[in-house]
Amino acid sequence: MNEGLDTSLTVVLAKLEKRFGGRLRKQTECCGDLTITVEPEDWMRVLSFCRSARELAFDQLDCLLGDHLPERTGAPFEVVVHLLSHTHGHRLRVTTPLAEGQDLPTITGLWPSAGFDEREAWEMYGIVFAGHPDLRRLLTTEDFEGFPMRKDFPLRGTVGGRIRTDLRGKI
Amino acid sequence: MSGTQDTQGLVPAAQALSRRPSLEELRERKDRTRRHLEPTGDVMTISMGPQHPSMHGVYRAVLDLDGEVILAVRPEIGNLHRGVEKLCEHRTYHQIIPLTDRLDYISGFAMNHGFCEAAEKLMGVEVPARGRYIRTMTHELCRISNHILWLGTSIMDLGTQTFFTICFRDREYVLDLFEMLTGARMTHSFARIGGVAKDLPDGFDHRCRKVIDFLPKRLAEYERIIKQNRIFLKRAKNVGIFTSEDCHAWRVTGPTLRAAGIARDLRKDEPYAAYPEVEFDVAVEYNADVYDRFLVRMKEMRESCKIIRQCLDKMPPGPFLAPDAAHSLPMKKNVLRDSAAMIQDFYQVFRGPQVPRGSVYRCVEAPKGEMGVYIRSEGGAKPARVRFSTPSFYHGQAVPALVEGEMVADMIAIFASVDVVLGDCDR
Repeated sequence: MNEGLDTSLTVVLAKLEKRFGGRLRKQTECCGDLTITVEPEDWMRVLSFCRSARELAFDQLDCLLGDHLPERTGAPFEVVVHLLSHTHGHRLRVTTPLAEGQDLPTITGLWPSAGFDEREAWEMYGIVFAGHPDLRRLLTTEDFEGFPMRKDFPLRGTVGGRIRTDLRGKI
Repeated sequence: MSGTQDTQGLVPAAQALSRRPSLEELRERKDRTRRHLEPTGDVMTISMGPQHPSMHGVYRAVLDLDGEVILAVRPEIGNLHRGVEKLCEHRTYHQIIPLTDRLDYISGFAMNHGFCEAAEKLMGVEVPARGRYIRTMTHELCRISNHILWLGTSIMDLGTQTFFTICFRDREYVLDLFEMLTGARMTHSFARIGGVAKDLPDGFDHRCRKVIDFLPKRLAEYERIIKQNRIFLKRAKNVGIFTSEDCHAWRVTGPTLRAAGIARDLRKDEPYAAYPEVEFDVAVEYNADVYDRFLVRMKEMRESCKIIRQCLDKMPPGPFLAPDAAHSLPMKKNVLRDSAAMIQDFYQVFRGPQVPRGSVYRCVEAPKGEMGVYIRSEGGAKPARVRFSTPSFYHGQAVPALVEGEMVADMIAIFASVDVVLGDCDR
């Protein structure tokens, strides 16, 4: 399974396995990318380990995104982060499955750049990031209803298209 | 003011270039140039943008001011949100390409290229040599046109109207090349999965060489105008210092990171297209201020000219699109002559490429910074999830960290120096 990995990623995987052992749900490898799936409870522990361990040293969060897989009924949502280490030059993808209404601790304390990404994941999928300093709608309007990136949300909407004057002074 | 500065409060240019401040020194400099005021009762809140001319689009920053000092900034984006990622889930891979160059419409090809690199990684498509060279060349032309536009608008924000028109005149030469090559001036949609849409037209080589011979002379002229401009130096040197650790924390990449002394360039670090086969230097500066970001971009344009010249010299013969019937379109000129190509064209247009399951993330060095594309496929012709982690999105987010403690007038210089385009930011 791990044949296509770089040496530095093999080290990363070994290190993570040694530290978390059976708690890592699954490791997959696709086109040279290493993906690690963790439980939502371990989200913070695994990511802060990735940030601080010397062999891993993921000092940059490349992106955080939400995803919706409606066919997975137990846990239809997913949060994916892409990490990058400037010290070692390797990348890692960490994902976690989430049930409807289940929240996830924010990682803005580890990488401040997660702020906008988490706001976007919340407004698009309804994934709540507990402890986020400013969890408001980011790209859509303040009064937008629903979570537009969910698969059951129609592509052609029926809402919006009005100019709001009653929000003056509130935003 | 320390002893390294002359009576005008400026670091002399030669001295600044020869010195490479350490991270501690930069931190200390940043701390010294920013004012740390406690918010008192006299806080004035103003809204800068979305129609403010210096916001380069529809970026809105709500500023809390104490006098002229910025205490806090709340960025508001989303005025240009078009739901590109949602649209991508309803289109085949070929149909997504025209959506991508509406992201960063100043450098459309870089966005096409990023998406195609990611899709090719997922599908396992090899791009033929000629395709890779044309891509590299077009990407660099894009970088030049982006940086010239950036130069014109950012200097205009600092009060030089004429310079803006000069830059636009020279950008026209590059846009003319694009028009000749792709048929469009800004939104090219030129990359295809497995290569590029068209071969080089007749006479392109000659015209392109004329432009890249002429541009470095112009760049030297620009540099002479700006480097001797006392007003620009005053407003750019030691302003908006953003150290490399800040850059990592806020995912600020591209010229801003390279101006902070980090020689990170994906064209070298994670090479793609024909970049491993051409020679160029990574532009690095060390003072992490507005002035150094300007220097980095000027150097990058020269390096781009070098890359384009090498691409033209080495341009290999052969096909410019991968002969991969399952994933890429056929060459258009063959479609009405060859039945196999016609079948392939029908198949690709009506059904789309048949893509394996899996997810990939691929980053390219777009002119504004690192542009990452995440694709998750569940098989079939349409992706299940596409995410563009575009540079301006993160640069727009980093604005509070960049400008808090600075003056309002400096915010304009700093915001211009990180180069945010709102199409890229709001997606």
